[in-house]
Amino acid sequence: MELLRSSTVLRWMLAALGVVVVLSVLQELARPETIDLVSVGTAESTLRRAVPILLAGLGGIWAERAGVVNIGLEGMMVLGTWFGAWGALEFGPWWGIAIGIAGGAAGGLLHAVATVGFGVDHIVSGVAVNIVAPALARFLSGEVFSGRSGGGITQSPRVDSVGHFDLPFLSGGELLGWRTPDMLGWTADQNWLLASDIAAVLSGITSSLSWATLLALSLVPVSVFILWRTPFGLQIRASGEHPVAADSLGVSVYRMKFTAVVVSGALAGFGGAFIAIEQTGVYREGQVQGRGFIGLATVIFGNWQPVGAFLGSLLFGFADALQLRDRTAVHALLLLAGVALAGLALRALLKRRHGSAVLLASSSAAVLWWYAVTDEVAGELPPITPHVVTLLVLVFATSRLRMPAANGLRYRRGQE
Amino acid sequence: MTTGSATPAAVELAGITKRFPGVVANDRVDLRVAEGEIHAVVGENGAGKSTLMKILYGMQTADEGRMLVSGNEVQFSSPSEAIDAGIGMVHQHFMLADQLTVLENVVLGAEPTRRGVIDYDSARRHLDELGISYGLDLHPNDFVESLEVGERQRVEIIKVLYRGAKVLILDEPTSVLVPQEVEKLFGNLRELKARGHTIIFIDHKLEEVLAIADTITVLRQGRTVATMASDQVTAAELAELMVGSELPKPSTEPRVADQHVTLSLRSATVTGDDGRPALEAVDLEIHRGEILGVAGVEGNGQGELIEAILGLRHFAGGELFLDGESITHWPVRHRREAGLGYVPEDRQRRGLLLDAPLWENVVLGHQTQPPYARGQWLDRSSARAAAGTILSDFDVRAPGVETSARALSGGNQQKLIIGREMAARPRMLIAAHPTRGIDVGAQAAVWDELREARREGMAVLLVSADLEELIGLADRLVVMLRGRITAELDPTNTSPRLLGSHMTGASVDDQGGVG
Repeated sequence: MELLRSSTVLRWMLAALGVVVVLSVLQELARPETIDLVSVGTAESTLRRAVPILLAGLGGIWAERAGVVNIGLEGMMVLGTWFGAWGALEFGPWWGIAIGIAGGAAGGLLHAVATVGFGVDHIVSGVAVNIVAPALARFLSGEVFSGRSGGGITQSPRVDSVGHFDLPFLSGGELLGWRTPDMLGWTADQNWLLASDIAAVLSGITSSLSWATLLALSLVPVSVFILWRTPFGLQIRASGEHPVAADSLGVSVYRMKFTAVVVSGALAGFGGAFIAIEQTGVYREGQVQGRGFIGLATVIFGNWQPVGAFLGSLLFGFADALQLRDRTAVHALLLLAGVALAGLALRALLKRRHGSAVLLASSSAAVLWWYAVTDEVAGELPPITPHVVTLLVLVFATSRLRMPAANGLRYRRGQE
Repeated sequence: MTTGSATPAAVELAGITKRFPGVVANDRVDLRVAEGEIHAVVGENGAGKSTLMKILYGMQTADEGRMLVSGNEVQFSSPSEAIDAGIGMVHQHFMLADQLTVLENVVLGAEPTRRGVIDYDSARRHLDELGISYGLDLHPNDFVESLEVGERQRVEIIKVLYRGAKVLILDEPTSVLVPQEVEKLFGNLRELKARGHTIIFIDHKLEEVLAIADTITVLRQGRTVATMASDQVTAAELAELMVGSELPKPSTEPRVADQHVTLSLRSATVTGDDGRPALEAVDLEIHRGEILGVAGVEGNGQGELIEAILGLRHFAGGELFLDGESITHWPVRHRREAGLGYVPEDRQRRGLLLDAPLWENVVLGHQTQPPYARGQWLDRSSARAAAGTILSDFDVRAPGVETSARALSGGNQQKLIIGREMAARPRMLIAAHPTRGIDVGAQAAVWDELREARREGMAVLLVSADLEELIGLADRLVVMLRGRITAELDPTNTSPRLLGSHMTGASVDDQGGVG
């Protein structure tokens, strides 16, 4: 068992290494030149941008594993941003995180009461949450933030973040008051083939790491553990797969669904609070920007598994980070997409699916041609890169995706 | 507490009554199951077997009556209480989550833990022990979705044993199994019995019941008819007890059929949902002005027959003709436009949009034809008018055509559907269980309409579980068993008893001996 687990870890590390290698090769090949595919800044920014999406994704997994579609994640994140900022303003950043979580959980509670308690359609209730939450935030801003300096009906005064740290030795963090050497940073600056690139990515992940980021990342294994190793988690999953069966074995299906949806809201609330407190340092209206929905996409992308959602959020975070930093880097991604499509075409050919092979090969050719004849992608493209990437992945992966069998269905005890 | 026996019965039900709106599912039912026996409860569909078992398993509560388990009076308000009392149930439709493993399904709700974490190792050991001692071989880490039906059933049985059940209820366990799997199941059941478990076995296949059961209780229309030892009864006697002959007879009329064949099936083969053939080489002819009755225990291919004729299911082989024209590959809409009418078995799910107004429901299925449509557009006003005519002609009691279908009683919903189909003057009318679950008055009205259809020269295919209805209305009867037509009978000299024995496959040779 221990051996198996360490080999899983090894596999993941190898996969991550593979990604870095591919990207650094791409960086070398790309014309015009780009320096941002693998850099300290991109890695750091990727992680930071991935966290809220990851938290929304985990929230989606909790709810959907219990059989409740939570399209209200977006609204719950909005509640998280407002309450997070307010809490941080009044009591300090950690309290802000906690109060943001509570705000999101309140949104989850509303959704749970409607869907589980009253049997309202999950989408209807979720949309309602998404409509009510921003309105509530605006109303509360008017009541609370308006009078203060820097505050108004659409934004709060600035708030402090929870603080960050550098890992000792690896990224030059302090240990017992002694400033350790920044080994990764130094290696990254050496311009060694590959080694510097790997060091740059690791340095980006391990330096100025927010404590809140660390907490959010830890929720991935925690969710896996609770959902797959505890009776509570098994009962939640059974409620989303076959509630009638679970009920017939004495599982309190309503309670499971209720709890899972509230946890879902709490996670989304954390995501919102993270945006307000860690990313922007302010509550601003509309700052969630659809990350709740993107989180839902990572749920599907990740096949309803926390680790999968984490990978999905990294993909979004990466695309998001790139489009902000460097448009030529997005252009370089075209090369990657073209090569990947060519690979898929080859696979389809080997599997004798000629129709898909032709389609994939011609898409590949089109993308590569686009890459060859342009130096820069159109300004509209970078912001939608994350969405395009997910769309492509979903199109090619759907046959192997399995959502919980009773997801989105209304469950009424005693009715079959 | 128990009278007349030294050891208390494993389960004793006395005077159990359960009413649903408009129906009495169980009417003072008595059932006494001795410890360590295999006790079969038989009866037709709707005889109240499943309701009785749901009451015993705590899924429903009885309105009246007493339950005793091992001599102690009990009252269950949920399955977990029944489980605590040592009663387990293997449901007809498996209660298994496909995407969970065998082990997860088994331990669900009764997880062994160590420091808050599910102790899968000890659960796996326990499951292996059970598997070995009862001959129920299973791989704990398999996902349920990858299992065959027989294996799923074994998971269900293990699930029940894992919770320490002494009394096992199996609800029509053989209905989903192929013969070899049935043999295996019976082996498992005998093993369980040998180890002191008590088994209550719900079924309506008489050979199986006689092969496995020690004692048999027959239910009919919610009442206990008889309880006897299985070696003192024949299949034919059981069939007679199950079917009875107490229903009011729908009256017959002289035959008006002529030689013209309206619908014919030639060696039709249809694949069922499980991939096995649900219809095999069925030949059928229905004449103008004739009611052809199809008898059979539910699930022997009647549903697939209807779906194939309507075009809801593809033919794997054979051909279908309407008035001599092959319509084998026509889409549903063309068939309906050509004159197929359909009264579905489940009127609320297949026959109506419950939340749509009556006039829209009347348009359904005829949306391309006048008076409901003019070109590509719905003609709303004449559709409303036509709906109004149907309401009055067919005595549908409703406030008006804007009422939603949900607001109507079952009988009026059925009259609306029949009116809708009849108003389109089909050449061929298919009626599946047209009087199921409706009150006596509506039943008589439905019968009248079917006779009217016959008088007007429609060909009518009537599938029903109500044998009196079949014998009373049909001009000819065919019996379906395992996807084949196994008998054709003349209703004028057929009794429900004879029909019942054909339906259950009990040999006709038995008949002479019993008569």
